[in-house]
Amino acid sequence: MKLNRILFLTLLGAGSLRAAPPTEGDYYPIVTFPTPKETALEVSSIELLPGDKLALGTRRGEVWTVSGATEADPTKVSYQLFAAGQHELMGLAWKDGSLFATNRYEVVRMKDEDGDGRSDLFQTVCDKWGVSGDYHEYCFGSRFDKAGDLWLVLCLTGSFSSKTDFRGWAVRVKPDGTMVPTCSGIRSPGGIGFGAEGEVYYTDNQGPWHGACTLQHLIPGTFQGHPGGFAWYDKAPNMGPRPVEPNDKSRMVVERERVKELVPPVAYMVHGKVGNSSSFIVCDMSGGKFGPFQKQLFIADQSHSNISRVFVEEVNGIQQGVVFPFRKGFKSGLIGGRMNEKGQIFAGGSDRGWGAKGGQPYSFERLEWNGKVPFEVQEMRARPDGFELFFTEPVDANAAGDVASYSMREFTYIYQAAYGSPEVDDVEAKITAAKVGNGGRSVRLTVAPLTKGHIHELHMAGVRSGMGLPLLHDVAYYTLNEIPRK
Amino acid sequence: MIRPTLFALAGLVAVPVFAAETQTIYIKTLQAQMRYDQSEISVPVGAKVKLVFENTDDLPHNLVFFKEGTDVVAVSNKQMEKPEEALKRNWLPDEPRIWLHTKLLNPKEKEELEFTAPDKGGSYPFVCTFPGHALTMQGRLNVQAEGTKLTGLRFALYLGSWEQLPDFKALKPHREGEIASNLVEIKLDDYKNQFGVVYEGKINAAKEGEYSFYVASDDGSRVLIDGKKVVEHDKIHPSSDIKEGKVKLKAGEHQFRLEYFQAAGNADLYAGWKGPGFGITPLSKWVHPKSAGGAGAKKPQDTTGMPLVVGTEPVIYRNFIAGAGNRGIGVGYPGGMNITWSAETMNLALVWRGAFMDAARHWINRGGGHQPPLGFDVVSPSGETALPVAVLASTQAAWPQLPAGQRSADFQWKGYRLDARRFPTFGYEWSGVKVSDGFGVEGDAIKGGGKLVRTVRMEGRLPENGYFRVAGGKQLRQVEGGFEIEKGVRVAVEGAQLVGESLLVSVRPEIKLTYTWAAAPMPAQSAK
Repeated sequence: MKLNRILFLTLLGAGSLRAAPPTEGDYYPIVTFPTPKETALEVSSIELLPGDKLALGTRRGEVWTVSGATEADPTKVSYQLFAAGQHELMGLAWKDGSLFATNRYEVVRMKDEDGDGRSDLFQTVCDKWGVSGDYHEYCFGSRFDKAGDLWLVLCLTGSFSSKTDFRGWAVRVKPDGTMVPTCSGIRSPGGIGFGAEGEVYYTDNQGPWHGACTLQHLIPGTFQGHPGGFAWYDKAPNMGPRPVEPNDKSRMVVERERVKELVPPVAYMVHGKVGNSSSFIVCDMSGGKFGPFQKQLFIADQSHSNISRVFVEEVNGIQQGVVFPFRKGFKSGLIGGRMNEKGQIFAGGSDRGWGAKGGQPYSFERLEWNGKVPFEVQEMRARPDGFELFFTEPVDANAAGDVASYSMREFTYIYQAAYGSPEVDDVEAKITAAKVGNGGRSVRLTVAPLTKGHIHELHMAGVRSGMGLPLLHDVAYYTLNEIPRK
Repeated sequence: MIRPTLFALAGLVAVPVFAAETQTIYIKTLQAQMRYDQSEISVPVGAKVKLVFENTDDLPHNLVFFKEGTDVVAVSNKQMEKPEEALKRNWLPDEPRIWLHTKLLNPKEKEELEFTAPDKGGSYPFVCTFPGHALTMQGRLNVQAEGTKLTGLRFALYLGSWEQLPDFKALKPHREGEIASNLVEIKLDDYKNQFGVVYEGKINAAKEGEYSFYVASDDGSRVLIDGKKVVEHDKIHPSSDIKEGKVKLKAGEHQFRLEYFQAAGNADLYAGWKGPGFGITPLSKWVHPKSAGGAGAKKPQDTTGMPLVVGTEPVIYRNFIAGAGNRGIGVGYPGGMNITWSAETMNLALVWRGAFMDAARHWINRGGGHQPPLGFDVVSPSGETALPVAVLASTQAAWPQLPAGQRSADFQWKGYRLDARRFPTFGYEWSGVKVSDGFGVEGDAIKGGGKLVRTVRMEGRLPENGYFRVAGGKQLRQVEGGFEIEKGVRVAVEGAQLVGESLLVSVRPEIKLTYTWAAAPMPAQSAK
């Protein structure tokens, strides 16, 4: 809003030391580590090891154990090569003294048996899915869930089809090594991780049947959107009959009614704005050591070299969420990431094959919170007639209570077999009321209309904190799978 | 097209040339690969050329150019009929068809030669004439007349985000200007992404006839002559493919128009033409590495950028290795011996000597495709799809093969374990029998006397009429002290019987196999 902007600029002018609006780095600094000279450390998976150590798996098939990465001084980091020669490592999980690594076609248990810091054992735990020789058949593995299972998401053969067993599926590997087909409909995963309650999520990438990258909720028995791997229902009796095929050039909200196994994305990682290539998923379980976003999800992007933040809620039995930009400026394309108990996110990656804004061919970095609270929308929740925003700091009631401080557009993507989708079915939403409540900590927006299935893109350029600061990120993308009944 | 800028090239070099100037060609030998780093070189007819030949290998090599049509392998091998005489000539054949040659260079030596390319266009073979090298160490010098270049070249730069060539005529250029070099180039400004360029100039057809125009671009491009489309490669893609279009032209000047756009990532643009009386002539500053091959040519697949060097410990490389299915495990051992073991067939898929593997195909860009071994004398003892063990009704029965890329439900892959020297032993289960398959090395397979010793152990109830196939194939034959698989690679194993095209042993708790090579790749006395 114009008046507020003038007020803010005046404030800037008056307080000459306060030169510019705050930036992401004022709250969440990135620490860049030196990497071993002997290799290109294309980090594709990260696991926490006992004793404050880490294990890094790379696209070149190496595992490096890392010491000193939690120290303030990044030059204190040291590396040891634990294993090499694996066919890409997109998943690492530590359990009982062994490292369970997911390579392109197996889960392999690595163990250092003679105590020299290098693995001697490379025992195949499960290799029951197929590999065709196509470069695209990436395979991402999770950590162990509460039942002791590993979850894998198996990329299709290329973008469209599944040429070998269970490509385009999520599977679980039980402790005895058996494989349980769990969800169909996977296209091209970029990461897999757990939510605060142990829910399993993965990210999928823009392409056929995906208008944009998405955050997806893996519920056993469901279909995640891309029918390319339907043939394997014949080998998965536990999954029941093959679902009906989704109609081409349709909408997710329409096909959900036809295809009962279809789960809509929790959130669209809006293409070109949030990112172009979603990757790892981290849930903040640090109990406040990472700032005011406890239990929220942090989703990385390879091509944008950034991390976005997702707040998820369940509405009418379906998960849906809102995406906020969070932190850009990583040095390479992010692929692997983990958060430790101290609330430090370790993130690494490479730009190989797809390019990344970061500009470096590979990187290993740490993101942490410095204790200062940014002025952000902490949560955005759907309401029957609009949304409710909760802020990390009290708002300026005049600015936040003015409907002119906000604007909203609504759109969706074509759900189709062709690659990607433009933003379609635009709806200009009117914000008819903005009511500040909760001692300046929340704002209730009344929006007309709400459109089921649409992404609701909210801009909040006019909102100011009680201190006169603009929002660190003044845009939010809410995927409204369901409108709350009350 | 988005991809990393790193790109290692080999196999071919085409040099943009101006006949008056001396051009320099660099050729080197690759270490432990029995190859030159290039197999195709192009020069204009009558060009003055400086040739720099460097031997980076550990063996002696030369570089000998022959007249068109010479069977260079036969000429080189013929020397072995009178090795004493050949040795005196330092392995240079006494042969009138040789028109240029270097000396026999010892390891790490370098030689420079200056010469004038033949006046007659054609393809002139070159080869290393040292015994045993010619089969793989060879290439071609392509001598071609050049055509004229563009004149009066101008560009118009447009900004925009497109997925295919836009209608440039409907757009307003961001900037226009001349290109003094008269060579098409894309670095006209700082824009790296989301731009398009229209190039216009004149091209002179010396005589009436059919002319070809070539483009290779990242991303889309098309060439129009006198306003008519001749060749097009639209949309977003890498510049690996050269496209060709033909047009009949009258003698005289014609209007040349090239439209191009770049979305994001890598940006390349190559244009060329050929016509009556002249060979493919680049019209762009960037010359496609396969420009001499014309349309259908691709950037070479065999990059040589990232050889995996084996030191005192074995090096393991799990990736797509050509000849070993989709679950190949490469192991490079000290002493110049290498294998690929297949976790698809549970069998030894490949044995070779020399250099181990080149990881560039898989570690540059997205990493598609199967990479062959980097070294030489690559043999597949039992084939890519043969199971290691089977129960046979009779030894005459056909050996069981898997469909390509498939596995057998009777076998379970168990992984591998490294011993104290980091040598892997592979394990699998075969119908209740626990099998381990490990390899050790003695000596050096390049210098001579190298041995690869394989031990297969079986634990459990061994079936009657169970056999282990040591090797298979038409070339298999008995030699003194064992059997030759092919290419001089021998295997010795106790109790083996050659039945038809299979070398079999009955399954037993331990089978020891020793692989050796018939000869070192260099006669010892001829190193000088």
